[in-house]
Amino acid sequence: MTDITTSDRTFTGPLERVDECCYRIPKSYKPGMLVDGLIFADERMIPQLRSDRAPEQVANVAFLPGIQTASLAMPDIHWGYGFCIGGVCATDPAVGGVVSPGGVGYDINCGVRLVRTNLTLADVQPILLQLVNQLIRDIPVGVGQGGNHIFSPAELRVLMQEGVGYLLGRGFATADDLACTEAEGCIADARPEYVSDRALARGNDQCGTVGAGNHFIEVQVVDRVEDPRAAAVLGLQAGQICVLIHSGSRGLGYQVCDDALRALRDAPAKYGLALPDRQLVCAPVESPEGQQYLGAMRAAANYAFCNRQLLMWQVREVFERVLGKPWHMLGMELVYDVAHNMAKIEEHTVGAARKPVCVHRKGATRAFPAGHPDIPERYREIGQPVIIPGDMGRASWVLLGGPRSMERSFGTTCHGAGRCLSRTAATKAAKGRNIREELQRSGVIARSRSREGLAEEQPLAYKDVDIVVDIVHRAGLSTKVARLKPLGVIKG
Amino acid sequence: MHEVFEHTADLGLRVTAPSLDALLAEAAAGLFEIIAGDLGQIRPREVRSFAIDGTDPVYLLLDWMGELHAAFEIDRLLLCEFAVAVHERGLTATARGEPYDPAVHRLAHEIKAITQHELDVHQTPAGWEATLIVDI
Repeated sequence: MTDITTSDRTFTGPLERVDECCYRIPKSYKPGMLVDGLIFADERMIPQLRSDRAPEQVANVAFLPGIQTASLAMPDIHWGYGFCIGGVCATDPAVGGVVSPGGVGYDINCGVRLVRTNLTLADVQPILLQLVNQLIRDIPVGVGQGGNHIFSPAELRVLMQEGVGYLLGRGFATADDLACTEAEGCIADARPEYVSDRALARGNDQCGTVGAGNHFIEVQVVDRVEDPRAAAVLGLQAGQICVLIHSGSRGLGYQVCDDALRALRDAPAKYGLALPDRQLVCAPVESPEGQQYLGAMRAAANYAFCNRQLLMWQVREVFERVLGKPWHMLGMELVYDVAHNMAKIEEHTVGAARKPVCVHRKGATRAFPAGHPDIPERYREIGQPVIIPGDMGRASWVLLGGPRSMERSFGTTCHGAGRCLSRTAATKAAKGRNIREELQRSGVIARSRSREGLAEEQPLAYKDVDIVVDIVHRAGLSTKVARLKPLGVIKG
Repeated sequence: MHEVFEHTADLGLRVTAPSLDALLAEAAAGLFEIIAGDLGQIRPREVRSFAIDGTDPVYLLLDWMGELHAAFEIDRLLLCEFAVAVHERGLTATARGEPYDPAVHRLAHEIKAITQHELDVHQTPAGWEATLIVDI
């Protein structure tokens, strides 16, 4: 197999500066755009922004019927399929607004959860190697790795209906775990009966598995606290050990999206939709096809919450084995779990009207500001916790939903650093180097099931998360609480 | 012939062949090279038959790739040799390979799905060309 680089994959269209953190693609750019595109970025990011087709995808999303205000993108924007990664789009069901499976992505409810501990760097440093080795031995990670938990189709249907509450009944979750998960780990109106047998077959042994690609489990230390009051509410302080878990709905969710795209093949003709990309296929939210997709998507989302819950449970068990104490004695409490691939019906103010809209977040995180009723009571006075994984060499961040997120981005912020190198370019850049040893020299123990896992996911493949976070902070979409540094990571 | 092209988040596959039959077989080889890296490590010990309905070459490619992907995802089958025959109502195909064995096979990528973004199949003066992007 040979690799080729294409030169036509850049964006040369208009990017008009709105303010220091936002650029516009005017709807005059392409006939068919119903609204402008708005990309949260600053001038440091413009060369990178123009280097792939992501801005074109922001313009394409502006074609979707019923889209409100603008087609949005967060500063971790990069080229995806259909939607860009970092894309946000709200549609109004009352005016024929659509739901697009491509606006959620294959990995429905891919997301992150942060677990704190009462351990310090000094406690963990001497046993870090043992801990990381035990994590990769005991927790299923990588391609072709079945899980430690097998669920029958009947069990899966209950799990997809009840979400993490089902695992509470099975002894794999606590009431506090539920309280600290977005939507308490259960999206209402899930319709497991719309999930195909093939999706169930792909998902029966994958709940509680990390997967591959950009998914990981990382041991981190709180490097710096920027907002001491909020950090105290979240139970975080400098020098503290945390664990970050990044995964989604695994094969079950991927298949739900695939099935929906197949079911929607005739939708453009049926509903008279003119779309610039086949992957943007969609149906009105209120149509039978739209409702069927949303029901199956919510079921897959609940599976994803359960996947991260079972992963966290296994992480707790590994810490117990290595440190010889029960996990609750190690203070291993869930800080928060948040989704970054989802379509949700939420109330928002658009112009002068307050109304329900279908908010698609494709590689973007819900970021509701302080006081919002959907934030767990314990965090409501500070705002919704937002967890931003960076790369395995530099940093991750804990943020809060910002004061301007509702007016500017339908209550949304970024979801990560965002890739800046393609997988093929990252692999080329890794030739002749030993990424694992490089990371070790910089103080990070990395273990991967595949050579590709470390090469394609090396730190330089990602934008600088500090810059991305700086932009969402200055734009008022979210505010900085704490920066975390990686110490050990396991990947597929 | 098939080649991987750059895509920021995922992997693109461009395939050329003198006929549609050969194009679909070549695309299948490309798919399993993304999954397993080297097809040489897969022994053609089992045969799996496929029959797919459809007349649009784009959806024929997509559905063929989807069936092959499912064979790996659900049955853990790694495939390395492909013979495809397109007829007026769809295609029939056979693929040879063996079950994934972690002691024997090294895997490279987990493919989440075959996307429809920039998915294309068209005729060229020399035969056929296809482009597809897989979600990693």
